[in-house]
Amino acid sequence: MSFLKLENLTVAYGKDAPVLKNLNLSVEKGEFVSLLGPSGCGKTTTLRTIAGFLKPLSGRVLIGGKDYTNVPTHKRNIGVVFQNYALFPHMSVFENVAFGLRMRKIPRQEIEKKVRRALEMVGLAGFEKRLPSELSGGQQQRVAIARAIVIEPDLLLMDEPLSNLDANLRMEMRSEIKQLQKNLGITTVYVTHDQSEAIALSDRVVVMNSGKIEQVATPQEIFSNPKTSFVASFIGFQVLAVGTVTSIEENFAEVLREGKIYRARITGRVQLQDKVILFARPRKMRLTRHETQNCFQVQLISVLYQGETSLLVFKLGERQFSVEQDSAVSLPVGSNVFVHVPPEDLLALKEE
Amino acid sequence: MPCLAFLIAFFMVPLFVTFFESVYQTGKGWVVYRYLDFFRQKLSRTVYVRSVLMSLSVTIVALLIGYPAAMAVISVRSDSLKSLLMTLLVFPIMTNPVARTFSWLAVLGREGLINNLLLSLRIIDSPVRLLYTRGAVFVGLLQLFLPLMVISLVSALENLPKDVPLAARSLGANSFKLFTKIYLPLTSEGIVTGSTLVFTGCITAYVTPAVLGGSRVLMLSTLLYQKASVTLDWTMATVIAVIMFLSTLAVNILSRAFSTLGVRK
Amino acid sequence: MKHSRWLGVALIVALSIMLGPFLIIFFASFEPTSTLRFPPTGFTLFWFRKVLSMSMFQKSLVLSLRIALVASLLSLLLGIPVAYATSRYSFKGKRLIELIVTSPAIVPGMVAGLALLRFFVLMRVFSVETTLLIGHTAIVLPYAVRSVLSSLTNLPVSIEEAANSLGSHPVRTFFLIVLPNIKVGVISAFIMCFITSFNNVPISLFLSGPGVNTLPIVMMTYMEYYYNPSIAALSTLLIGLTLAIVLLAQKLLGVSKLV
Repeated sequence: MSFLKLENLTVAYGKDAPVLKNLNLSVEKGEFVSLLGPSGCGKTTTLRTIAGFLKPLSGRVLIGGKDYTNVPTHKRNIGVVFQNYALFPHMSVFENVAFGLRMRKIPRQEIEKKVRRALEMVGLAGFEKRLPSELSGGQQQRVAIARAIVIEPDLLLMDEPLSNLDANLRMEMRSEIKQLQKNLGITTVYVTHDQSEAIALSDRVVVMNSGKIEQVATPQEIFSNPKTSFVASFIGFQVLAVGTVTSIEENFAEVLREGKIYRARITGRVQLQDKVILFARPRKMRLTRHETQNCFQVQLISVLYQGETSLLVFKLGERQFSVEQDSAVSLPVGSNVFVHVPPEDLLALKEE
Repeated sequence: MPCLAFLIAFFMVPLFVTFFESVYQTGKGWVVYRYLDFFRQKLSRTVYVRSVLMSLSVTIVALLIGYPAAMAVISVRSDSLKSLLMTLLVFPIMTNPVARTFSWLAVLGREGLINNLLLSLRIIDSPVRLLYTRGAVFVGLLQLFLPLMVISLVSALENLPKDVPLAARSLGANSFKLFTKIYLPLTSEGIVTGSTLVFTGCITAYVTPAVLGGSRVLMLSTLLYQKASVTLDWTMATVIAVIMFLSTLAVNILSRAFSTLGVRK
Repeated sequence: MKHSRWLGVALIVALSIMLGPFLIIFFASFEPTSTLRFPPTGFTLFWFRKVLSMSMFQKSLVLSLRIALVASLLSLLLGIPVAYATSRYSFKGKRLIELIVTSPAIVPGMVAGLALLRFFVLMRVFSVETTLLIGHTAIVLPYAVRSVLSSLTNLPVSIEEAANSLGSHPVRTFFLIVLPNIKVGVISAFIMCFITSFNNVPISLFLSGPGVNTLPIVMMTYMEYYYNPSIAALSTLLIGLTLAIVLLAQKLLGVSKLV
């Protein structure tokens, strides 16, 4: 039984065209789900609707089986962490974290205990008396998290909480958030545009595009078996070429391109004669001098040194794609070689 | 929230209704000749023209003095001096207009500063009448509104990117005239704002013309008061009021049109 | 820059025009003889004592203070919700409301005073004093709204959302979270309103009556008959008071509250 259920949600801002159209999603209790997608895809809108900041035009929001669609935000038992932390500037750290408990009329003794525990959990014990203006970005975000979890909410909603932090801090906080969620077991919905973040943190990833859900699956599933071209591109697959399906056999298909047959894996629904795009990851391609099965003839345009590995940019027809190779292998720019992609690593997805 | 907004309307409505009431009493439709009367009567006509000309001249002088003054304020390096100057500029606006205008009596009066100065320098033999002249009103109005002009200009100048004049200089704009070709157009919005504020302020000012001009130098507002309170000529008073309002409205609309024109260029 | 010398001159000219008379009136208020003269021939505090003891000045001072206080508070009470609604919501007729709220600033004071007099007083709707209060409140409202609005726009909406998500009813959020953080805007609004109301002449001019005279009006009538340094003393006091308020406000809030 799902804990959070979004049924046919249609959400719009004011009189504009709807941002979400008939969105459906189920989240289990204790699950960590990420909403992943580019800006404008509707992930923040979805989160805000769950929180109650937005009212849907149609559809329902169900939490724990109860219909919360028309329930105002302050009556929902949720914890929200904002991208800009949204700490109350005129209150100390203690008062900020205690706020939710105060609203729930918890007795003072208990508030003190809970707040201290929450601050310990985020590693900010001893910071009670400080003001938000005296804290660094990372510390502010931790206070925001403490403030959201101390009330033991049914749902934890996070809107790109790490986007305003620098890269190192982001990595640090990522694992902390994951640990925290595992320990507390709070159902969490996490919005991000960073696919590595989504993959690292989530039990399941929801990839969104233009107000619709493209794919919902575990990180491993999304990583290996993207179901649509959009998801594949977003998750790091490169477009190699385009072809037509000539035969299908279980999970594999034969794709015709410029007279050659390529064997590729299919993850979505594909039919004969469909136009498909061939995708591959930069690490899964091999350079060969002689042509074999599943080879593309390419020309090397440039090399990007990255330290241990280098990114070789090849030209195939009108497209370019990159192959990651050990830097030890050197190839002169302009040379013509073959790139081989094993069938399991060559993905054929329908054109959109 | 909306219900409180309506409370506001309650206050605005009387304002509006008062307007329309007072105007309809004059009867816009059927008693328009009153307006023509206003302009036909020599007294009111001269008063109106005088008010407009006076306001115009004050505005121009305020601009001439205020612009370089504003530039001086901008170019001050030390922050504390700058904020001190700004305070000195803002402060006169906050003072009571009666007190402000009265100060001029001490300067222009029979035994005020100027007369005493001139007497002691033997330039004149007996005190010169300075009060109740157009000059007195002029200076009073100038003192009243110069700060407004300077402040508008200062904020307009502050929005000018510091590198633009330097770029112009490096391109060979040495001449003073070229300087004005850069500064003027870019600050035109501030100039228009400041001028509008000063002009409308002068047209509607009461205290200064009343104290420094008396009944010898009648301006629009003093005429209005006279008609309303002294002679109880209500109809005339309302006509004057409406004319004053329309004049300021016209100036406001014109200035907005001007600034959008400038932006397009 | 060669120009800087001329610029400096212009600045000095401007400042002396604006501030010079203040200094002169300051000195003139110590003049012992019954005439308004500068430079003063002597030094006396007689006029100060006289002015402070005259009942007509005292009464009008009380009235001015009372009106200013009530008008400021009223305009804040009415204006804060309007500012809040303007900054947080967009709704039909928002432009119109904005226009209405700022209209008193555009209308010439004289015109408003006349209109108010005719409509309310002569039609016996309200007493003179009440109308005076209404007029003053209306006049200072735009300033209140503007000041509060600028403070509000600097407060991100996410803070209110955070409070709501933690269980605070929106009205409670307003009092607990929004108000404390717009303190600066509210205080500067109050100061602006108070000063504007206290100094107002056009509205008070028309809406005066027996026993209902604000200080500026009383000063003006006094000036017509008595040409002595007592007004100078009073002016000096007022100017000094204003200076004190401006300096205080600056210490508390910083310079850019008008802009």
